[in-house]
Amino acid sequence: MTPRSNPFATRYTRPGAILPLDGEGQPVDIARLAEDTLRMRGLSIEGPHGTGKSTLLAAVAAAFELRGHLGANVRLRQFRDAVTAIVAVGRAAPGSVVCLDGWNVLGPLAWLVRTLAWLRGVILVVTSHWTTGLPLVVPTSVTLPLLAAIVERLPDHGGSINAADLADALRHHPTNLREALLELYDSFETRIRGGALAGAPDQSAPPNRGRS
Amino acid sequence: MSSGLDTAARSPRVAASFSSADRRYEPLENIQVRYTVELPPTAVVRSVERSILWYTEGKGEEDIGVHYFERITERAAVMTAAAAGSFETRLPVSPLSYEGVIVKIRWCARVRLFFEEGRDFVSEHVFELGHVPVAAIVLS
Repeated sequence: MTPRSNPFATRYTRPGAILPLDGEGQPVDIARLAEDTLRMRGLSIEGPHGTGKSTLLAAVAAAFELRGHLGANVRLRQFRDAVTAIVAVGRAAPGSVVCLDGWNVLGPLAWLVRTLAWLRGVILVVTSHWTTGLPLVVPTSVTLPLLAAIVERLPDHGGSINAADLADALRHHPTNLREALLELYDSFETRIRGGALAGAPDQSAPPNRGRS
Repeated sequence: MSSGLDTAARSPRVAASFSSADRRYEPLENIQVRYTVELPPTAVVRSVERSILWYTEGKGEEDIGVHYFERITERAAVMTAAAAGSFETRLPVSPLSYEGVIVKIRWCARVRLFFEEGRDFVSEHVFELGHVPVAAIVLS
């Protein structure tokens, strides 16, 4: 008996593990988005929980890191992380980009971070559940073509998941891609243990994966 | 940014074989991994990392523990290691491989190639440590 990887595990679906895709399931042109962000001097990625904001931010941050423009990349989890955001913007070189994942947790201190960034000439790239006022806005949302395109790019599920499963997962979680993928994780586990695990194809050597 | 799944056509290929044909090992047993690399013609490798590690796979955040690690940066050694090589170590007593429902523990041999232009490529080859029974889903 050989263990099978669950293609819907967070290892394969976390931000940075897959390319950001748009609502049609097409890859987002990250190079162009980075250019636009520099030109407009700020980017706000806006949408509900689990719609791919952090995935898109990770890709944009990686693009700026490759260019040597990334000043900091900070994940904000709670209000007191505002201190981390302020320090990151305060230390970043003028003209550099500071990525803040979770802008909404800053609450009333958001204006302070934004003012500090403006004074220091730092470009902000943020994710938020609501409007931030930054000049360039990319909204994120969940669609069936997007979910299908993501699943297509994950490790092979060996036919355990079909189109109806995707539609069901999205019907149960219409605004949250992350939850839809976790439902597919459970569906995969249930089916693979329903007799298919013993004698499953050898997936002990998962496909090579590259990163940049 | 790119991922292996999207750039498979121009990605390297790493093949690995284990000292145990069925890739099953006991705690404290020695493991030897041999590998060969097929590089795209234009690829220039700057350094190579070879490691034996475990990681968790499931619905939560990933955890990882590195048991053996080797980084090769000397130019002549890199040229050799980026074509083929082998590495070995003695495995620990734990954690044992575990096929759970919400979380799994996997052991793997990893070969990581760093290229001159800044990209890197990771190849992982799973093996099993120990004999923990597969977890079953109990429906109430």
